[in-house]
Amino acid sequence: MKHVTSARWPRLFALALGLVATLPAAADETCVSPYMKRLTGQEDFMYIWTLGALGMGDEQDKLVTVDVQPNSKTYGKVIHSVSVGGRNEAHHSGFTDDRRFLWAGGLDSSNIFIFDVYTDPAKPKLVSTITDFVAATGGIVGPHSFYALPGRMLITGLSNNQDHGGRTGMAEYTNEGEYITTHWMPTDDQLGGAVKAGKLADGYGYDVRAMPRLNVMLTSSFTGWNNYMMNLGKMMADGEAMKRFGNTVAVWDLHTRKPLKVFDVPGAPLEIRCAWNEKHDYCFTTTALTSQIWLIHRDSKGEWQAQSVAAIGDPKKIPLPVDISIAADDSTLWVNTWNDGMARLFDISDPFKPKQIYEKQIGAQVNMVSQSWDGKRVYFTSSLLANWDKTEGPEGDLQFFKAYAWDGKALKPSFSVNFIKEKLGRAHQMTLGARAMSAGAPIDRPATTGLATLGK
Amino acid sequence: MPAAARRWLPPGALAVLCAGLLIGAPLAAHEAHPAAPPARQLPAPGSYALPPLRAAPDGLVRDEQGKVRPLHELLAGRIVVLSFIYTRCADGAGCPMASYTLSQAAGRLAKSGELGSRVAFLSLSFDPAHDSPEVLAAYAGHFQKPGIDWRFMAADPPSMGQLLGAYRQDVVKGGDDASLAHTLRVFLIDAAGQIRNEYTAGFLDAGLLATDVQTLALETARKAETPPRPSPASTGTGDPRAGYQSGAYRSGSRALLARQGVPLALAARLAAGEPGLPAMPGPLPDAAQIALGRRLFFDRRLSHNNTLSCASCHVPEQGFTSNELATPIGIEGRSVRRNAPTLLNVGFLPRLFHDSRENRLEQQIWAPLLAFNEMGNPAIGYVLDKIAGLPEYATAFDGSPPTMETLGAALAAYQRSLIAGDSPFDRWRGGEETALPPAALRGYALFTGKAGCSGCHLAAPDGPLFTDQLWHNTGIGYRQSMIDRPAAEAAVTVGPGLSLPVSARDRAASSIEPVNDLGRYEVTGDPADRWRFRTPGLRNVALTAPYMHDGSLPDLAAVVAFYNAGGVPNEGLDARIRPLNLDATERAELLAFLESLTGGSVDALVKDAWAAPIGDHRAR
Repeated sequence: MKHVTSARWPRLFALALGLVATLPAAADETCVSPYMKRLTGQEDFMYIWTLGALGMGDEQDKLVTVDVQPNSKTYGKVIHSVSVGGRNEAHHSGFTDDRRFLWAGGLDSSNIFIFDVYTDPAKPKLVSTITDFVAATGGIVGPHSFYALPGRMLITGLSNNQDHGGRTGMAEYTNEGEYITTHWMPTDDQLGGAVKAGKLADGYGYDVRAMPRLNVMLTSSFTGWNNYMMNLGKMMADGEAMKRFGNTVAVWDLHTRKPLKVFDVPGAPLEIRCAWNEKHDYCFTTTALTSQIWLIHRDSKGEWQAQSVAAIGDPKKIPLPVDISIAADDSTLWVNTWNDGMARLFDISDPFKPKQIYEKQIGAQVNMVSQSWDGKRVYFTSSLLANWDKTEGPEGDLQFFKAYAWDGKALKPSFSVNFIKEKLGRAHQMTLGARAMSAGAPIDRPATTGLATLGK
Repeated sequence: MPAAARRWLPPGALAVLCAGLLIGAPLAAHEAHPAAPPARQLPAPGSYALPPLRAAPDGLVRDEQGKVRPLHELLAGRIVVLSFIYTRCADGAGCPMASYTLSQAAGRLAKSGELGSRVAFLSLSFDPAHDSPEVLAAYAGHFQKPGIDWRFMAADPPSMGQLLGAYRQDVVKGGDDASLAHTLRVFLIDAAGQIRNEYTAGFLDAGLLATDVQTLALETARKAETPPRPSPASTGTGDPRAGYQSGAYRSGSRALLARQGVPLALAARLAAGEPGLPAMPGPLPDAAQIALGRRLFFDRRLSHNNTLSCASCHVPEQGFTSNELATPIGIEGRSVRRNAPTLLNVGFLPRLFHDSRENRLEQQIWAPLLAFNEMGNPAIGYVLDKIAGLPEYATAFDGSPPTMETLGAALAAYQRSLIAGDSPFDRWRGGEETALPPAALRGYALFTGKAGCSGCHLAAPDGPLFTDQLWHNTGIGYRQSMIDRPAAEAAVTVGPGLSLPVSARDRAASSIEPVNDLGRYEVTGDPADRWRFRTPGLRNVALTAPYMHDGSLPDLAAVVAFYNAGGVPNEGLDARIRPLNLDATERAELLAFLESLTGGSVDALVKDAWAAPIGDHRAR
């Protein structure tokens, strides 16, 4: 406590108050699990799960910590980096519900790296690695989304160990890293009680999001190992490979984890973002190949429906929408389009009629977007997949982490980190950290160190 | 509160924290808006699984009489809903709200009336200094329901700290103003002491909690999962995606779990041979060698980073090749330039690879094991040491560490066992006149006659493999090296019935340069061998799409059309390749013949492959 400065309390207060003031909401900061502790004030750190690149630096995947606290002397600088060994096709990461541990996955190796971000949030420590995910889950390959449920992590897969295609499942682990169970995505012959709303059921997976108050969970569908590991240009020339993308979104009973309904959402629906307002019974997803915003919503009869509600850029040019981020008040949606490096902001105040109201080119390519809870700070990274990333672009615009301030009208650059110049690799998933949520924070000191035994 | 803390913590912050951290979420939101759609239904008790999470940690607690007892003694033999509380959290939205929801669940269970003494609620206070038995009794009175045993106890330090840690309760002592902020977790523990569900208090739902309790009560013994219905189909991809380019496409995806492995006696089958096939060159491997080879073949740990087995590219149900890819994807997604050949009947081939550079299966395995863009192992010794260190192989190589020879022999043994004859064509040749439909018969006549296919795809009388085992220039390789330029725009499939033109620039943005392939020339250095590739056998050819050394032709119809057009003219074009002038009927008949070459036992080989364990990395 003696290290606490008087300048900190407004931020702590914002954190504490946020937990109350935003009660009905659930969690980028606006895209995390509602079960997770939420950071509503100024973030101190950005954890960037980064792909190692052959011929660059130490060539391996790493968790890079950047100081994003404007009052800090090291603001905008890389302050820490943990190399994990190998190139695992580092992709997404997510905190446990108590926000003490960050789970980060590799789509190739299927390894899961668990970092303690609680003991010293400025220096995440690799405390445990799950190396038997494929064997333990009965054959799921490519752990993708790490979604916090009470005391456990729900992990979606992208592929399987039998044909490296897109059929896959989801696995549950305890916060301690113990495997619990597997749920396979519904296929035509094993719908698991679900009904097909259209013509398609593919058994593919990608993202997952839950709406606890409605007891539903949504999943989307991408493609298998063969495709996500393949060179993008090669894949586009391979007619058979291009048929192997997911075209479905499934609605599940959250509590029983049983699929209820499978929707046709053609063209690889990726990230799912659900509204926060308790009267907003809907979620959005975007299709990577067909460039549409889809609304998955509960109608007045309580039935779940899916419909395409807007085009993103010119779909004929395949802008390739990737990450999306919903505002905490459900008014806007950031949509990144990877191929043209654009961040696009949509007004979604009428969820059935999203309208693009702003756009800005972030780099030669752009993948992930994360915003602070108040939406005033917006962060971007560049990398999509090791073998899909562009190989040529202006200095600093190819592999980067860029921070902007959003004033409601325009993105103004705050700082950027050139991941090539820093010899770090390809910057991918971002998660926000704060001292106020750490062991050293006076209002949130652990009573014991129960979880610290994880690494043993 | 210590003075130091007061300096930075604003007035009222702890009260806020109490409410916030305790609840931190909507209050039973499904009851919150009357204008909303009809309320969801609760799942039927017992209709879903609650897999065990971990053993419920033990610790000492102080019961209502002040007696210190192990928690496990209180849990034993009953389904217990365990919560952590403290009574001083007086905020209406704090602990009382969670206790109220628990009370509602208890009420529901009491009403159902069947569980009686099988279920108990236990609330543990971690504020023993304040929560005396008397205080707890008074608190309990607000929530207990008749018919449900709900006890309120406390735990003393240091046991309290241990329990809170073991159950991951996040607690902070706020000082003397009675605020103890914590993240409240509630646990469902079964009669055997296993935690079966965990809840965050802010998301507690009385209906779902009661349903979970009933679900455990209905569980007499933990039932084995009912295996899914086995799928009748054993060949083809998980979803053939036939007609995908049409808007009328309907999926036909099959569950991985529906696969049912059925082991075959592979050695006996190999020794007996298959109708229509020549004799396998000896000596034949024995059952143990084949079994070892099969295990190795499906072991993903044979690649440097444990991601690829032989079967990753030679997928059993995809004709022991890969139907979903023109050319395979190697370690870390690296591109492989040639189509994966089928391994069905590979034991009959005197030379291997599309350029015939290898002469024994026993040696061939080292090329993919060591190739930078295939399985990526750094050295022969590395592979042998790694396998020697895997427990599954501890006694596999007659108790010795594997060597180049024994590893090669094992993998070759399994591959040799993949014989697949007994096709309709073989049965027809064997005298079964109706085995071949008339169209296929006419196709065979074209194959050996007008179309001239058998000039290279020999239909030898003593068990035809439909290959001369030699190399020929069809122009496919020449075209790729000498003619092909990226089209300004190419149509790319983006969904069922949906395709879009993609510019050359976009296609090249993340693309490696196309890799040249000069075929047999790369082995001999003889200019005459430029763009010559080995003649593949045609047995089971209907299962092995896509076709040609680079997988550039998607189906057999495209292959027939290619040859009908006379291949791609170039100076080295094989003299036998010329325009064939086959009409549509003749082309269909040729296809019917090619489709009659599928072995009757491929299905059994695939099911046998499914019975093999997949070698995935396991934690030690």
